Amino acid sequence: MSDAEMKIGVYFCKCGTIIADKIDPEKVAKEVCTLPGVAYCKSCDYLCAEEGKAFLEQDLKDEKPDRVVISACSPRDYEQAFRECMGAAGINPYLMQMVNVREQVAWVTADAEQAVQKTVHYIRGAARRVSLQVPLEEKEIEVCPDVLVVGAGPAGLKAAMALAASGRKVILVEKTPVLGGLPQRYEELFPNLECAPCMLEPLQAEIFQSKNIEILTLSEVAEVVGYCGNFNVKIRRAPRYVDAVKCIGCGECVNPCPVSTPNEFNCDLDQRKAMAFALKGGLPNAPFIDMKACLRGKGEDCTICRTACPVEGTVLFDDQEKILARNVGAIILAVGASLYDCSAFPNLAYGTAGDVYTSLEFERLLSASGPTGGQLLTRAGTPPRSVAILHCVGSLDEHHISYCSGVCCQYAFKFNQLVHHKVPDAKIFHFYRELVTPGKEECGLFARAMAHPHAQFIRYGNLAELKVEAANGTNRLRYSEAGAEREVEADMVVLCPAIVPSESSKRLAAMVDTALDRFGFFEELHGRGDAGQSKIKGIFLAGTCQSPKDIQGSMNQGMAAAGYVLSQLATGKKLKIDPVTAQVREDACSGCQVCRGVCPYKAIAFDLDQQVSVVNALLCHGCGTCVAACPSGAMEGNHFTAAQISAEIEGILQ
Amino acid sequence: MSAETTIAETMIAETMIAETMIAETGNAHQDKSESGENFEPRIVGFLCNWCSYAGADKAGLAQVPYPPNVRVVKFMCSGRMDPQFVLQCYENGADGVLILACHFGDCHYKEGNFRATQRHRMLLHLLKQEGIEEARCRFDYVSAGEGDKFVQVVTEMTEAIRQLGPLHKRFIPKPKGDS
Repeated sequence: MSDAEMKIGVYFCKCGTIIADKIDPEKVAKEVCTLPGVAYCKSCDYLCAEEGKAFLEQDLKDEKPDRVVISACSPRDYEQAFRECMGAAGINPYLMQMVNVREQVAWVTADAEQAVQKTVHYIRGAARRVSLQVPLEEKEIEVCPDVLVVGAGPAGLKAAMALAASGRKVILVEKTPVLGGLPQRYEELFPNLECAPCMLEPLQAEIFQSKNIEILTLSEVAEVVGYCGNFNVKIRRAPRYVDAVKCIGCGECVNPCPVSTPNEFNCDLDQRKAMAFALKGGLPNAPFIDMKACLRGKGEDCTICRTACPVEGTVLFDDQEKILARNVGAIILAVGASLYDCSAFPNLAYGTAGDVYTSLEFERLLSASGPTGGQLLTRAGTPPRSVAILHCVGSLDEHHISYCSGVCCQYAFKFNQLVHHKVPDAKIFHFYRELVTPGKEECGLFARAMAHPHAQFIRYGNLAELKVEAANGTNRLRYSEAGAEREVEADMVVLCPAIVPSESSKRLAAMVDTALDRFGFFEELHGRGDAGQSKIKGIFLAGTCQSPKDIQGSMNQGMAAAGYVLSQLATGKKLKIDPVTAQVREDACSGCQVCRGVCPYKAIAFDLDQQVSVVNALLCHGCGTCVAACPSGAMEGNHFTAAQISAEIEGILQ
Repeated sequence: MSAETTIAETMIAETMIAETMIAETGNAHQDKSESGENFEPRIVGFLCNWCSYAGADKAGLAQVPYPPNVRVVKFMCSGRMDPQFVLQCYENGADGVLILACHFGDCHYKEGNFRATQRHRMLLHLLKQEGIEEARCRFDYVSAGEGDKFVQVVTEMTEAIRQLGPLHKRFIPKPKGDS
């Protein structure tokens, strides 16, 4: 259809008098009606009002234009509403172009004649552009409503629970033998010394009893292919050698086991058997066999645990690794974080001096289920006379970790209180770079630590100048204050390291093609507005794998991630695909794959047979970066084609 | 993924280069010889939907007049800015082109603005060969909140082009088109 044959209808909204006072509608109409293809130019008082929209819809039905230009306010306000009017009038919504004369002409142009001219330029550009616009259809695809949650810490548990409660089937993958994540290792939580097991165990029990949740412990995601709405996932499940369903959790098998090995669940501070429970109270309440330690793993035919088990067929020596295939519509990544490696600070003597601990190790020493049964004892077996707590280990340090993890001060003040409970006379030294306790309840423990008669606060400028040395069964901490060299003695030293991304983040990011930020945490879609969503559609984020945060923040983000899934992949509804995406013209594609390199969303695949790029419309966000990058003009941006933009430029400059 | 780290690092470096260039191009008011008495510069402004177009809308809400010389073309992202469009603007009679993007780190599409800075730098090299002053192709950052900055950039650009005078040069290469 040439411009001459095309019937373009122009609607000029006067916005009451707001636009009309500045831009004379009659002058505009007079000039616009001479433009090629423009059949008419009608004005309306308020096109966005109900009467305005009714007028537009009816007039479109009567006039049956091929293309429509609407001169009104910013398309950011009413483009969607006018598109709906187009649809209701039986015209494809993408055959309309808006001109923003209120915000970008009427309100900002002093001279009335210049305002009219600018409006005419814009309408000419829009008329040229719209004549090249083509009908676009919103496609809909079937989606799988099931959800994969990776990681069973507070964030993952909460997300799984919320989804299951709404009737979704959830596959919960956890790499350790138990649910609960790191807080499963804590006895009491800041800011109010709530009991951690009391908070986590009922949630775990609910998860465990939910018919909608398939729990896969000792499991890791091995492969993810597909896209939002339809991911095919392979999960590698390591053998437990114990049937967790049959097991009654009596523990009869554990004591007779003849092999002892360092207990990683207590940070190697004590020993466990080769047949062991990971953490007391953690679900599933079934032990596992560590085949690396077990005599059977070394070729011996030991059957002591199986003999001790009162339920026949529970201990399964021939259990094997399994690869499980699952189909899901969305994936929530909640794999948690790690602590900064304290051996990066030789001056702090971590791992060399006897009683220097990380905060996680100290949590185990404080826990009733820990290596000392909750008694605070040095390695020599005596209660400490003094404890030094080193804040900001690695944090706020350009040579190590530049950010503040935001939770260390708070658990440090929790430690202050718990040391006080267990060894009331113990002196406590807080060595800190900065003190941070945001939140409505969080300063309570800080106030108690400050008021504590045996607590002393010492600010340091540079952690490298702090020296820890083992001496005569205690530790000597040397530091400088106001130019003077000083030292204190502390039987125990607790390091509060920065929270850093976990090892599995890198592996998972590569697997699901989502980005990590410069620190190695999963990169969110928007730091403030969409921290629970990754840049890849269908992949959501929860907990400390996105950024350091406390349990409250993790659980909230778990709920948020569940909310994203429920709203974006609603059961029974098809997933709508915005038609404003990139598209490859295969005949013009040279197969250079430049487009793939610039796509921020990994939305472009390469067809090896045809040697052409292929855009996945579901993953494409329609930014057009690949379109501008394509050296052969083979990549086209729907609704922003080169021809359409070129026509608009021609029109506005005429 | 180390590739991502590299992009983040490069982006910071690019910001510095781009900012230096903005400072340089912004000060290029040297040649007044061609300016006619009633010369009204024609400038095309390529604005990204999420930040700079919203910034222009903010300027509108403030209802403070600014020079009407910039005619806006909206992209979803500054990353859509094909250098061919800029060349076409000159071809079609524009005296200047303004490309506005989100600030680094704010791009709705992650790194489209970064791509746009790369293309702008390439454009400046090309324009230099054609004898077109750098000030005729200005790249800047306007956020959705920076109505004031939008007005400032538009005013400066209009003045800079007014000083430079009309662009008489016409390009030989036709813009690519597939219509």
